[in-house]
Amino acid sequence: MIIRIDEYSDVPIYMQIRNQIVMGISSGDLKPGEQLPTVRALALEIGINTMTVSKTYQLLKQEGYIMTDRKNGARVRENIAQSGVISQENKNELRRIVSEARLSGVGKDALKELIDEFY
Amino acid sequence: MTWIIKIVMFICIVPTVILMYMLGFSKDPGKKKMVMGVRDNPKFHEGEASGKFDAIVGSARKGGLIITALVILFSVILLCLPVTGNTMVAWIILVFALFLIAVPYGKGNTELKNLKKELGITKSGVSYTDLTSTNTVHALKMPWVILPNALALIAAAVSVLIDLGVFGIEVASEKFALTMMGVSLLSIAVMLVPLALLMDNTRNMVISRDSNINANYNRAKKKTWADLFVAMSWANTLFLIGYSILLVFTASETAMLLGILVYTALIMVIAGMGVVTQMRVEKRYTRDTELELQDDDDNWILGMFYYNPNDTRLNVEKRLGYGATVNIAHPAGKVIAVLTAVILIVSLILIVYLNATGQMEASDMINLP
Repeated sequence: MIIRIDEYSDVPIYMQIRNQIVMGISSGDLKPGEQLPTVRALALEIGINTMTVSKTYQLLKQEGYIMTDRKNGARVRENIAQSGVISQENKNELRRIVSEARLSGVGKDALKELIDEFY
Repeated sequence: MTWIIKIVMFICIVPTVILMYMLGFSKDPGKKKMVMGVRDNPKFHEGEASGKFDAIVGSARKGGLIITALVILFSVILLCLPVTGNTMVAWIILVFALFLIAVPYGKGNTELKNLKKELGITKSGVSYTDLTSTNTVHALKMPWVILPNALALIAAAVSVLIDLGVFGIEVASEKFALTMMGVSLLSIAVMLVPLALLMDNTRNMVISRDSNINANYNRAKKKTWADLFVAMSWANTLFLIGYSILLVFTASETAMLLGILVYTALIMVIAGMGVVTQMRVEKRYTRDTELELQDDDDNWILGMFYYNPNDTRLNVEKRLGYGATVNIAHPAGKVIAVLTAVILIVSLILIVYLNATGQMEASDMINLP
């Protein structure tokens, strides 16, 4: 799975990595139980501080996407808890995207098509 | 027999300068990912910019060619002259003159960076990392590199013990010649192990969206380096053993110089084969390259020295030639850079001093029959 880091983006690097790992799990690029690189290895590979990667892993663990232990390092969770609800934060983000799409003249169907493609 | 010294110097200098020229100044720069340490860009080949680009590359190439030709010419002249203190200094200065080829390269690099600014090519700041192959792509099998170097350690220890008379063997060569030779070659062996490890742990390049292609590409590159270091380790160890035996049984300086000649030729051939294999790997994977390399041209001073305080890595892939270089912004990189500069300057001063005081002229090597 390829991670794209944009150092000029407004989104912090730890969040960019987090978002792409989540997308990778969702798309199946990262399989349940798949081993993730160690904090040090990933930090060295990207050329960033280990604290940044550590922050990403802590966040992913907190959100229930990965599990970490001293022996096996970080792995994608076998069973990710499915609450069936969209978080308020994501709702707000979706509202922003829909608003911008409407202002840009994108129709509801086009937006739905896009959701179907990504889902 | 001083002609052997000249041939050793000749086979060290001439192939190196030709290789440096070929790697630094590509015949077909439009087809390369990097042009004199600057990432190639389609805008370089459009309209007016194309003419400017060709002029910059052509001028640097011409400069590189002149320096290469001069180094070869002086090597041939020195080959024809008798070995004296002055000519030995001239040979050594010629080794340092190899660095001159970096002048047109650096000039071309600066001009291309200016052209980038002129064309409004801005740094994208995007980099890719393959999560699948992080820290999993390695080609070096440690026992293969440790075994020959451990043998070198044993052989060097035996050489020292023979010189100390522990085994009661009568040595034909000069007193402590075995020890000096053993320790010198052991120091090379000691350097080969960390260098092999360093090359095996360089950052993996991401050239494709397909993780398998990335893994294969990086594995192929690392395998070339691993093979190179294993071959060099064996060559070094076998030479150490063979040369020790030679020193025990003969005091013939001709035989000793011939030994050095064979060793130098062998190392040059191994290094040359390594470079050719790397070039083949690059060529093979050119068609699979679909992702743009990170634009970090500004972090490459003159296209040769990597300085990036935001990068935590110590070693990065070189832009001039093949191999790895250090990030000078890294604390360890600063120490390595300063040490290298000090060693180079001190050794040059020392050689000039030895020659000025006549000690070079009195050396055994120069006064061979």
